[in-house]
Amino acid sequence: MTLFNNNADNQLISDLLLPQAATASIELIINKALGLNINKRVSYSAVAQKTLTLELAELPFLLCFTVNRLPSSTEVIVRTHAEHSDCSIQTSLNTLKKIKEEQSLTELIKKDELNVTGDIKIAQQFANIAQSLEIDWQTELAKHLGDVPMHKLLHFCNKITKSVSATGKRLEADIGEYLVHEKRLVVTNSQINAFIQQTKDVVHQVDNLSSRIDKLIAARNTNNTDSTT
Amino acid sequence: MSSIDQNSQASDSLITAEVPVDASNTADTSVDTSVNTESTTHFGYKTIEKDDKISMVAGVFHSVAKQYDVMNDLMSFGIHRLWKRFTIDASGVRPGNKVLDLAGGTGDLTAKFSKLVGREGQVVLADINSSMLNVGRDKLRDKGLVQNIEYVQANAEYLPFEENTFDIVTIAFGLRNVTDKDKALRSIYSVLKPGGRLLVLEFSKPEHELLNKAYDFYSFNILPKMGELVAKDGESYQYLAESIRMHPDQETLKGMMENAGFEQTTFKNLTGGVVALHKGYKF
Repeated sequence: MTLFNNNADNQLISDLLLPQAATASIELIINKALGLNINKRVSYSAVAQKTLTLELAELPFLLCFTVNRLPSSTEVIVRTHAEHSDCSIQTSLNTLKKIKEEQSLTELIKKDELNVTGDIKIAQQFANIAQSLEIDWQTELAKHLGDVPMHKLLHFCNKITKSVSATGKRLEADIGEYLVHEKRLVVTNSQINAFIQQTKDVVHQVDNLSSRIDKLIAARNTNNTDSTT
Repeated sequence: MSSIDQNSQASDSLITAEVPVDASNTADTSVDTSVNTESTTHFGYKTIEKDDKISMVAGVFHSVAKQYDVMNDLMSFGIHRLWKRFTIDASGVRPGNKVLDLAGGTGDLTAKFSKLVGREGQVVLADINSSMLNVGRDKLRDKGLVQNIEYVQANAEYLPFEENTFDIVTIAFGLRNVTDKDKALRSIYSVLKPGGRLLVLEFSKPEHELLNKAYDFYSFNILPKMGELVAKDGESYQYLAESIRMHPDQETLKGMMENAGFEQTTFKNLTGGVVALHKGYKF
Protein backbone atom coordinates (compact mmCIF):
# COMPACT_ATOMS: atom_id res chain seq x y z
CA MET A 1 0.00 0.00 0.00
CA THR A 2 2.18 2.81 -1.25
CA LEU A 3 0.92 6.37 -1.29
CA PHE A 4 2.44 7.16 -4.68
CA ASN A 5 0.76 4.13 -6.27
CA ASN A 6 -1.36 5.18 -9.25
CA ASN A 7 -3.44 1.99 -9.24
CA ALA A 8 -6.74 2.87 -10.96
CA ASP A 9 -8.86 1.15 -8.28
CA ASN A 10 -7.48 3.31 -5.55
CA GLN A 11 -6.94 6.40 -7.71
CA LEU A 12 -10.31 7.99 -7.02
CA ILE A 13 -10.16 7.24 -3.31
CA SER A 14 -6.67 8.68 -3.17
CA ASP A 15 -7.53 11.72 -5.38
CA LEU A 16 -10.39 12.63 -3.10
CA LEU A 17 -8.05 12.20 -0.13
CA LEU A 18 -10.62 9.95 1.55
CA PRO A 19 -7.97 8.05 3.56
CA GLN A 20 -6.69 11.36 4.96
CA ALA A 21 -10.23 12.51 5.73
CA ALA A 22 -10.89 9.20 7.49
CA THR A 23 -7.69 9.31 9.57
CA ALA A 24 -8.36 12.95 10.47
CA SER A 25 -11.82 12.01 11.76
CA ILE A 26 -10.57 8.95 13.66
CA GLU A 27 -7.76 11.02 15.17
CA LEU A 28 -10.21 13.70 16.26
CA ILE A 29 -12.52 11.16 17.92
CA ILE A 30 -9.70 9.31 19.69
CA ASN A 31 -8.12 12.49 21.02
CA LYS A 32 -11.49 13.84 22.13
CA ALA A 33 -12.06 10.59 24.03
CA LEU A 34 -8.58 10.77 25.61
CA GLY A 35 -9.27 14.35 26.63
CA LEU A 36 -12.55 13.39 28.29
CA ASN A 37 -11.16 10.37 30.09
CA ILE A 38 -11.63 10.56 33.88
CA ASN A 39 -9.81 7.35 34.71
CA LYS A 40 -6.49 8.72 35.96
CA ARG A 41 -4.99 5.23 36.29
CA VAL A 42 -4.63 4.92 32.51
CA SER A 43 -0.92 4.86 31.75
CA TYR A 44 0.48 5.78 28.38
CA SER A 45 4.17 5.47 29.21
CA ALA A 46 4.51 1.95 27.75
CA VAL A 47 3.19 3.07 24.36
CA ALA A 48 4.80 6.51 24.18
CA GLN A 49 6.17 7.09 20.67
CA LYS A 50 5.12 3.55 19.70
CA THR A 51 3.26 2.84 16.47
CA LEU A 52 0.56 0.24 15.95
CA THR A 53 -0.42 -0.48 12.35
CA LEU A 54 -3.79 -1.98 11.54
CA GLU A 55 -4.46 -3.45 8.11
CA LEU A 56 -8.15 -4.19 7.81
CA ALA A 57 -9.36 -6.31 4.90
CA GLU A 58 -12.31 -3.95 4.42
CA LEU A 59 -10.17 -0.81 4.09
CA PRO A 60 -7.98 0.03 1.07
CA PHE A 61 -5.51 1.89 3.30
CA LEU A 62 -3.64 1.32 6.56
CA LEU A 63 -4.39 2.83 9.93
CA CYS A 64 -1.21 3.67 11.85
CA PHE A 65 -1.63 4.87 15.42
CA THR A 66 1.29 6.66 17.11
CA VAL A 67 1.12 7.88 20.69
CA ASN A 68 2.73 11.21 21.47
CA ARG A 69 3.17 12.22 25.10
CA LEU A 70 3.57 15.86 25.97
CA PRO A 71 4.16 17.09 29.53
CA SER A 72 0.57 18.35 29.63
CA SER A 73 -1.31 15.88 27.48
CA THR A 74 -1.26 12.69 25.44
CA GLU A 75 -2.27 12.57 21.83
CA VAL A 76 -2.70 9.81 19.26
CA ILE A 77 -1.71 10.56 15.68
CA VAL A 78 -3.40 8.50 12.99
CA ARG A 79 -1.74 8.11 9.58
CA THR A 80 -2.28 5.98 6.49
CA HIS A 81 1.37 5.06 6.20
CA ALA A 82 4.22 4.58 8.64
CA GLU A 83 7.72 3.59 7.63
CA HIS A 84 8.32 2.07 11.04
CA SER A 85 5.77 0.17 13.09
CA ASP A 86 6.29 -1.55 16.46
CA CYS A 87 3.39 -3.90 15.86
CA SER A 88 1.38 -4.63 12.71
CA ILE A 89 -1.93 -6.45 12.65
CA GLN A 90 -3.61 -7.81 9.54
CA THR A 91 -7.21 -8.74 10.14
CA SER A 92 -10.84 -7.94 9.36
CA LEU A 93 -13.56 -6.08 11.25
CA ASN A 94 -15.29 -9.37 12.07
CA THR A 95 -12.16 -10.76 13.69
CA LEU A 96 -11.71 -7.54 15.64
CA LYS A 97 -15.14 -8.16 17.17
CA LYS A 98 -14.03 -11.66 18.12
CA ILE A 99 -10.95 -10.25 19.84
CA LYS A 100 -13.25 -7.96 21.76
CA GLU A 101 -15.23 -11.01 22.80
CA GLU A 102 -11.93 -12.28 24.23
CA GLN A 103 -11.69 -15.23 21.92
CA SER A 104 -8.23 -16.72 22.11
CA LEU A 105 -5.71 -14.80 20.02
CA THR A 106 -3.74 -17.98 19.36
CA GLU A 107 -6.84 -19.65 18.00
CA LEU A 108 -7.51 -16.74 15.62
CA ILE A 109 -3.88 -16.71 14.47
CA LYS A 110 -4.06 -20.47 13.82
CA LYS A 111 -7.20 -19.96 11.74
CA ASP A 112 -5.31 -17.31 9.70
CA GLU A 113 -7.88 -14.72 10.69
CA LEU A 114 -5.24 -12.63 12.42
CA ASN A 115 -1.67 -11.97 11.43
CA VAL A 116 0.53 -10.17 13.95
CA THR A 117 4.03 -8.89 13.19
CA GLY A 118 6.24 -7.25 15.79
CA ASP A 119 5.69 -6.81 19.49
CA ILE A 120 2.22 -8.12 20.38
CA LYS A 121 2.46 -6.44 23.80
CA ILE A 122 2.13 -3.08 22.07
CA ALA A 123 -1.20 -4.15 20.59
CA GLN A 124 -2.36 -5.41 23.99
CA GLN A 125 -1.34 -2.14 25.64
CA PHE A 126 -3.27 -0.14 23.03
CA ALA A 127 -6.30 -2.39 23.66
CA ASN A 128 -5.96 -1.99 27.43
CA ILE A 129 -5.95 1.78 27.13
CA ALA A 130 -9.05 1.69 24.91
CA GLN A 131 -10.87 -0.55 27.42
CA SER A 132 -9.92 1.46 30.50
CA LEU A 133 -11.12 4.83 29.22
CA GLU A 134 -13.98 6.25 31.28
CA ILE A 135 -15.99 9.21 30.16
CA ASP A 136 -18.47 11.06 32.36
CA TRP A 137 -21.00 11.82 29.62
CA GLN A 138 -23.43 13.47 32.01
CA THR A 139 -20.94 16.12 33.15
CA GLU A 140 -19.59 16.64 29.65
CA LEU A 141 -23.00 17.07 28.03
CA ALA A 142 -24.19 19.28 30.90
CA LYS A 143 -21.49 21.78 29.91
CA HIS A 144 -23.19 22.22 26.56
CA LEU A 145 -26.85 21.64 27.39
CA GLY A 146 -27.10 22.96 30.95
CA ASP A 147 -27.66 21.04 34.18
CA VAL A 148 -31.48 20.93 34.22
CA PRO A 149 -32.02 19.89 30.56
CA MET A 150 -29.24 17.33 30.97
CA HIS A 151 -30.86 15.91 34.12
CA LYS A 152 -34.20 15.65 32.30
CA LEU A 153 -32.57 14.12 29.24
CA LEU A 154 -30.78 11.57 31.40
CA HIS A 155 -34.01 10.79 33.28
CA PHE A 156 -35.79 10.28 29.96
CA CYS A 157 -32.95 8.12 28.63
CA ASN A 158 -32.99 5.97 31.78
CA LYS A 159 -36.75 5.52 31.40
CA ILE A 160 -36.33 4.50 27.77
CA THR A 161 -33.49 2.14 28.68
CA LYS A 162 -35.57 0.52 31.44
CA SER A 163 -38.54 0.19 29.12
CA VAL A 164 -36.42 -1.31 26.33
CA SER A 165 -34.77 -3.63 28.83
CA ALA A 166 -38.16 -4.76 30.24
CA THR A 167 -39.53 -5.31 26.72
CA GLY A 168 -36.44 -7.31 25.88
CA LYS A 169 -36.81 -9.49 28.96
CA ARG A 170 -40.51 -10.07 28.25
CA LEU A 171 -39.72 -10.94 24.65
CA GLU A 172 -37.00 -13.27 25.81
CA ALA A 173 -39.41 -15.01 28.22
CA ASP A 174 -42.11 -15.28 25.53
CA ILE A 175 -39.69 -16.76 23.04
CA GLY A 176 -38.43 -19.21 25.69
CA GLU A 177 -41.94 -20.32 26.49
CA TYR A 178 -42.74 -20.73 22.84
CA LEU A 179 -39.63 -22.81 22.28
CA VAL A 180 -40.14 -24.99 25.33
CA HIS A 181 -43.88 -25.62 25.23
CA GLU A 182 -45.72 -24.39 22.17
CA LYS A 183 -43.14 -25.42 19.61
CA ARG A 184 -43.81 -29.04 20.45
CA LEU A 185 -47.50 -28.64 19.57
CA VAL A 186 -46.92 -26.94 16.30
CA VAL A 187 -47.29 -29.20 13.24
CA THR A 188 -44.13 -29.22 11.20
CA ASN A 189 -43.84 -29.18 7.42
CA SER A 190 -42.67 -32.77 7.24
CA GLN A 191 -45.61 -33.87 9.38
CA ILE A 192 -48.01 -32.10 7.02
CA ASN A 193 -46.34 -33.72 4.02
CA ALA A 194 -46.55 -37.15 5.66
CA PHE A 195 -50.24 -36.57 6.43
CA ILE A 196 -50.94 -35.55 2.79
CA GLN A 197 -49.08 -38.62 1.56
CA GLN A 198 -51.01 -40.90 3.93
CA THR A 199 -54.30 -39.33 2.83
CA LYS A 200 -53.34 -39.93 -0.81
CA ASP A 201 -52.55 -43.55 0.04
CA VAL A 202 -55.94 -44.00 1.73
CA VAL A 203 -57.71 -42.43 -1.28
CA HIS A 204 -55.80 -44.77 -3.56
CA GLN A 205 -56.71 -47.80 -1.40
CA VAL A 206 -60.37 -46.72 -1.25
CA ASP A 207 -60.41 -46.34 -5.06
CA ASN A 208 -58.94 -49.83 -5.46
CA LEU A 209 -61.43 -51.29 -3.02
CA SER A 210 -64.30 -49.50 -4.72
CA SER A 211 -63.33 -50.82 -8.14
CA ARG A 212 -62.97 -54.31 -6.65
CA ILE A 213 -66.43 -54.11 -5.06
CA ASP A 214 -67.85 -52.90 -8.37
CA LYS A 215 -66.26 -55.88 -10.08
CA LEU A 216 -67.68 -58.31 -7.42
CA ILE A 217 -71.16 -56.79 -7.74
CA ALA A 218 -70.98 -57.09 -11.49
CA ALA A 219 -69.84 -60.77 -11.20
CA ARG A 220 -72.66 -61.58 -8.72
CA ASN A 221 -75.26 -59.99 -11.00
CA THR A 222 -73.99 -62.08 -13.92
CA ASN A 223 -74.19 -65.27 -11.81
CA ASN A 224 -77.74 -64.45 -10.69
CA THR A 225 -78.89 -63.96 -14.31
CA ASP A 226 -77.31 -67.28 -15.40
CA SER A 227 -79.01 -69.29 -12.58
CA THR A 228 -82.41 -67.76 -13.36
CA THR A 229 -82.20 -68.73 -17.02
CA MET B 1 -6.70 29.82 -21.32
CA SER B 2 -3.69 28.88 -23.32
CA SER B 3 -1.06 27.15 -21.32
CA ILE B 4 1.70 29.25 -19.99
CA ASP B 5 5.01 27.90 -21.18
CA GLN B 6 5.93 26.42 -17.86
CA ASN B 7 8.85 24.43 -19.16
CA SER B 8 10.61 27.70 -19.60
CA GLN B 9 10.39 28.16 -15.82
CA ALA B 10 12.93 25.47 -15.21
CA SER B 11 15.68 27.99 -15.31
CA ASP B 12 15.26 31.62 -14.67
CA SER B 13 16.87 32.59 -17.93
CA LEU B 14 15.00 33.65 -21.07
CA ILE B 15 11.51 33.00 -19.73
CA THR B 16 8.70 33.80 -22.12
CA ALA B 17 5.18 33.51 -20.80
CA GLU B 18 2.20 33.56 -23.15
CA VAL B 19 -0.63 35.95 -22.50
CA PRO B 20 -3.77 34.18 -21.23
CA VAL B 21 -6.45 34.32 -23.93
CA ASP B 22 -9.35 34.75 -21.52
CA ALA B 23 -7.76 37.64 -19.73
CA SER B 24 -11.26 39.02 -19.23
CA ASN B 25 -11.66 36.43 -16.49
CA THR B 26 -9.01 38.06 -14.44
CA ALA B 27 -8.98 41.16 -12.38
CA ASP B 28 -5.50 42.31 -13.31
CA THR B 29 -3.79 39.37 -14.86
CA SER B 30 -1.86 40.94 -17.69
CA VAL B 31 1.32 38.99 -18.00
CA ASP B 32 4.52 40.85 -18.40
CA THR B 33 5.88 39.11 -21.46
CA SER B 34 9.22 40.87 -21.48
CA VAL B 35 12.17 38.58 -21.91
CA ASN B 36 13.82 37.62 -18.67
CA THR B 37 17.51 37.91 -18.21
CA GLU B 38 19.89 36.48 -15.63
CA SER B 39 18.98 39.37 -13.37
CA THR B 40 15.18 39.20 -13.68
CA THR B 41 12.51 36.87 -12.40
CA HIS B 42 8.76 36.72 -11.95
CA PHE B 43 6.60 38.18 -9.24
CA GLY B 44 3.23 36.79 -10.21
CA TYR B 45 2.82 37.85 -13.86
CA LYS B 46 5.26 40.75 -13.53
CA THR B 47 8.90 40.50 -14.51
CA ILE B 48 11.05 42.14 -11.89
CA GLU B 49 14.67 42.41 -10.83
CA LYS B 50 15.76 39.29 -8.94
CA ASP B 51 16.97 41.42 -6.06
CA ASP B 52 13.52 42.89 -5.63
CA LYS B 53 11.61 39.59 -5.39
CA ILE B 54 12.59 38.76 -1.81
CA SER B 55 11.36 42.07 -0.48
CA MET B 56 8.18 41.97 -2.59
CA VAL B 57 7.31 38.44 -1.47
CA ALA B 58 8.18 39.46 2.08
CA GLY B 59 5.71 42.33 1.73
CA VAL B 60 2.96 39.90 0.77
CA PHE B 61 3.59 37.57 3.69
CA HIS B 62 4.10 40.33 6.27
CA SER B 63 0.68 41.51 5.17
CA VAL B 64 -1.14 38.18 5.36
CA ALA B 65 0.71 36.45 8.23
CA LYS B 66 -1.91 37.03 10.92
CA GLN B 67 -4.82 35.91 8.76
CA TYR B 68 -2.84 33.17 7.00
CA ASP B 69 -4.47 30.16 8.66
CA VAL B 70 -8.00 31.54 8.41
CA MET B 71 -7.48 32.40 4.76
CA ASN B 72 -6.01 28.97 4.02
CA ASP B 73 -9.08 27.31 5.46
CA LEU B 74 -11.40 29.65 3.60
CA MET B 75 -9.64 29.49 0.24
CA SER B 76 -9.17 25.75 0.15
CA PHE B 77 -12.39 24.88 2.00
CA GLY B 78 -10.17 23.19 4.59
CA ILE B 79 -8.64 20.79 2.06
CA HIS B 80 -5.13 22.16 2.70
CA ARG B 81 -5.23 20.19 5.94
CA LEU B 82 -5.70 16.95 3.97
CA TRP B 83 -2.93 17.87 1.51
CA LYS B 84 -0.59 18.42 4.46
CA ARG B 85 -1.75 15.20 6.06
CA PHE B 86 -0.94 13.37 2.84
CA THR B 87 2.54 14.94 2.93
CA ILE B 88 3.11 13.68 6.47
CA ASP B 89 1.89 10.21 5.47
CA ALA B 90 4.24 10.16 2.48
CA SER B 91 7.23 11.48 4.42
CA GLY B 92 8.02 8.19 6.12
CA VAL B 93 9.04 10.09 9.25
CA ARG B 94 10.08 8.00 12.24
CA PRO B 95 11.05 8.66 15.84
CA GLY B 96 14.49 10.25 16.13
CA ASN B 97 14.44 11.84 12.66
CA LYS B 98 15.72 15.34 12.02
CA VAL B 99 13.26 17.29 9.87
CA LEU B 100 13.52 20.67 8.16
CA ASP B 101 10.15 22.31 7.47
CA LEU B 102 11.23 24.91 4.98
CA ALA B 103 8.98 27.91 4.30
CA GLY B 104 7.10 26.34 7.20
CA GLY B 105 5.04 29.46 7.81
CA THR B 106 2.55 28.96 10.57
CA GLY B 107 3.90 25.51 11.40
CA ASP B 108 1.15 23.06 10.41
CA LEU B 109 3.66 20.43 9.24
CA THR B 110 6.09 21.21 12.05
CA ALA B 111 3.42 20.50 14.66
CA LYS B 112 2.76 17.02 13.30
CA PHE B 113 6.44 16.23 12.67
CA SER B 114 7.32 17.33 16.19
CA LYS B 115 4.89 14.77 17.63
CA LEU B 116 6.13 12.00 15.36
CA VAL B 117 9.91 12.41 15.79
CA GLY B 118 9.60 12.46 19.57
CA ARG B 119 12.14 13.72 22.08
CA GLU B 120 15.07 12.08 20.32
CA GLY B 121 14.21 13.81 17.06
CA GLN B 122 14.24 17.44 16.05
CA VAL B 123 12.24 19.69 13.77
CA VAL B 124 13.55 22.97 12.38
CA LEU B 125 10.90 25.42 11.26
CA ALA B 126 12.55 27.73 8.77
CA ASP B 127 11.01 30.66 6.95
CA ILE B 128 12.49 33.69 5.27
CA ASN B 129 9.68 35.83 6.63
CA SER B 130 9.92 36.91 10.25
CA SER B 131 6.20 37.65 10.56
CA MET B 132 5.25 34.16 9.45
CA LEU B 133 7.87 32.67 11.74
CA ASN B 134 6.54 34.65 14.70
CA VAL B 135 2.96 33.55 14.05
CA GLY B 136 4.15 29.95 13.71
CA ARG B 137 6.22 30.07 16.89
CA ASP B 138 3.35 31.56 18.93
CA LYS B 139 0.93 28.97 17.58
CA LEU B 140 3.19 26.01 18.34
CA ARG B 141 4.05 27.27 21.81
CA ASP B 142 0.36 27.70 22.56
CA LYS B 143 -0.06 24.03 21.64
CA GLY B 144 2.64 23.08 24.12
CA LEU B 145 5.09 22.05 21.41
CA VAL B 146 8.39 23.37 22.67
CA GLN B 147 10.82 20.58 23.39
CA ASN B 148 12.09 19.55 19.97
CA ILE B 149 11.44 22.52 17.70
CA GLU B 150 13.94 25.16 16.56
CA TYR B 151 13.10 28.30 14.63
CA VAL B 152 15.39 29.65 11.95
CA GLN B 153 14.89 32.63 9.68
CA ALA B 154 16.53 31.43 6.49
CA ASN B 155 16.55 31.84 2.73
CA ALA B 156 15.96 28.51 0.97
CA GLU B 157 18.69 29.36 -1.56
CA TYR B 158 21.35 29.66 1.15
CA LEU B 159 20.41 27.25 3.91
CA PRO B 160 22.50 27.92 7.02
CA PHE B 161 23.00 24.25 7.94
CA GLU B 162 25.85 21.82 7.59
CA GLU B 163 25.81 19.31 4.77
CA ASN B 164 24.06 15.98 5.45
CA THR B 165 22.05 17.25 8.41
CA PHE B 166 18.42 16.31 7.79
CA ASP B 167 16.54 13.06 7.18
CA ILE B 168 13.57 14.87 5.70
CA VAL B 169 13.09 18.31 4.17
CA THR B 170 9.60 19.56 3.33
CA ILE B 171 8.59 22.73 1.59
CA ALA B 172 4.84 23.25 1.46
CA PHE B 173 3.43 26.05 -0.64
CA GLY B 174 6.75 27.85 -0.48
CA LEU B 175 8.85 26.92 -3.50
CA ARG B 176 6.92 29.11 -5.92
CA ASN B 177 7.89 32.17 -3.88
CA VAL B 178 11.58 31.38 -4.04
CA THR B 179 13.51 33.59 -6.45
CA ASP B 180 15.95 30.96 -7.76
CA LYS B 181 14.25 27.59 -7.42
CA ASP B 182 17.16 25.61 -8.87
CA LYS B 183 19.55 27.12 -6.36
CA ALA B 184 17.09 26.35 -3.54
CA LEU B 185 16.77 22.71 -4.65
CA ARG B 186 20.56 22.36 -4.74
CA SER B 187 20.80 23.93 -1.30
CA ILE B 188 18.18 21.50 0.04
CA TYR B 189 19.99 18.58 -1.57
CA SER B 190 23.16 19.58 0.20
CA VAL B 191 21.63 19.67 3.70
CA LEU B 192 19.89 16.29 3.28
CA LYS B 193 21.58 13.18 4.63
CA PRO B 194 22.22 10.36 2.15
CA GLY B 195 18.97 8.37 2.17
CA GLY B 196 17.09 11.51 3.09
CA ARG B 197 14.15 12.81 1.10
CA LEU B 198 12.63 16.06 -0.06
CA LEU B 199 8.87 16.56 -0.26
CA VAL B 200 7.58 19.53 -2.22
CA LEU B 201 3.89 20.27 -1.73
CA GLU B 202 2.87 22.96 -4.15
CA PHE B 203 0.03 24.18 -6.32
CA SER B 204 0.28 22.71 -9.78
CA LYS B 205 -1.58 22.23 -13.04
CA PRO B 206 -5.04 20.57 -12.90
CA GLU B 207 -5.25 17.43 -15.02
CA HIS B 208 -8.64 18.16 -16.60
CA GLU B 209 -9.43 21.18 -18.74
CA LEU B 210 -12.83 21.74 -17.13
CA LEU B 211 -11.32 21.75 -13.67
CA ASN B 212 -8.59 24.04 -14.96
CA LYS B 213 -11.14 26.60 -16.17
CA ALA B 214 -13.18 26.46 -12.98
CA TYR B 215 -9.97 26.79 -10.98
CA ASP B 216 -8.87 29.81 -13.06
CA PHE B 217 -12.22 31.50 -12.54
CA TYR B 218 -12.07 30.85 -8.81
CA SER B 219 -8.45 32.00 -8.50
CA PHE B 220 -8.74 35.26 -10.39
CA ASN B 221 -12.27 36.33 -9.56
CA ILE B 222 -13.20 34.96 -6.16
CA LEU B 223 -9.92 34.53 -4.34
CA PRO B 224 -8.73 38.18 -4.48
CA LYS B 225 -12.17 39.34 -3.35
CA MET B 226 -12.06 36.89 -0.47
CA GLY B 227 -8.61 38.25 0.44
CA GLU B 228 -9.94 41.79 0.30
CA LEU B 229 -12.88 40.92 2.50
CA VAL B 230 -11.15 38.82 5.16
CA ALA B 231 -7.49 39.87 5.16
CA LYS B 232 -8.16 43.37 3.78
CA ASP B 233 -5.55 42.64 1.14
CA GLY B 234 -6.82 41.68 -2.29
CA GLU B 235 -3.48 42.37 -4.02
CA SER B 236 -1.60 39.73 -2.08
CA TYR B 237 -4.15 37.13 -3.10
CA GLN B 238 -4.01 38.33 -6.69
CA TYR B 239 -0.25 37.66 -6.45
CA LEU B 240 -1.00 34.22 -4.99
CA ALA B 241 -3.17 33.29 -7.99
CA GLU B 242 -0.60 34.62 -10.46
CA SER B 243 2.35 32.95 -8.76
CA ILE B 244 0.52 29.61 -8.91
CA ARG B 245 0.11 29.95 -12.69
CA MET B 246 3.77 30.88 -13.10
CA HIS B 247 4.99 27.93 -11.05
CA PRO B 248 6.48 25.00 -12.99
CA ASP B 249 4.04 22.19 -13.79
CA GLN B 250 4.40 18.65 -12.44
CA GLU B 251 6.84 17.28 -15.01
CA THR B 252 8.97 20.43 -15.08
CA LEU B 253 9.40 20.47 -11.33
CA LYS B 254 10.26 16.77 -11.39
CA GLY B 255 12.97 17.56 -13.96
CA MET B 256 14.27 20.43 -11.82
CA MET B 257 14.56 18.11 -8.84
CA GLU B 258 16.45 15.57 -10.92
CA ASN B 259 18.77 18.30 -12.19
CA ALA B 260 19.51 19.23 -8.59
CA GLY B 261 20.62 15.64 -7.96
CA PHE B 262 17.51 14.00 -6.52
CA GLU B 263 16.85 10.39 -7.43
CA GLN B 264 13.73 8.22 -7.60
CA THR B 265 11.80 11.44 -8.11
CA THR B 266 8.04 10.99 -8.32
CA PHE B 267 4.98 13.13 -7.94
CA LYS B 268 1.39 12.54 -6.96
CA ASN B 269 -1.44 14.78 -8.07
CA LEU B 270 -3.91 15.70 -5.37
CA THR B 271 -7.42 17.05 -5.94
CA GLY B 272 -7.12 16.58 -9.69
CA GLY B 273 -3.70 18.19 -9.92
CA VAL B 274 -4.65 21.46 -8.21
CA VAL B 275 -1.83 20.49 -5.87
CA ALA B 276 1.00 18.02 -6.44
CA LEU B 277 3.35 16.38 -3.99
CA HIS B 278 6.82 15.76 -5.39
CA LYS B 279 9.20 13.43 -3.64
CA GLY B 280 12.87 12.80 -4.33
CA TYR B 281 15.72 11.05 -2.54
CA LYS B 282 19.37 11.84 -2.01
CA PHE B 283 21.53 8.71 -2.16
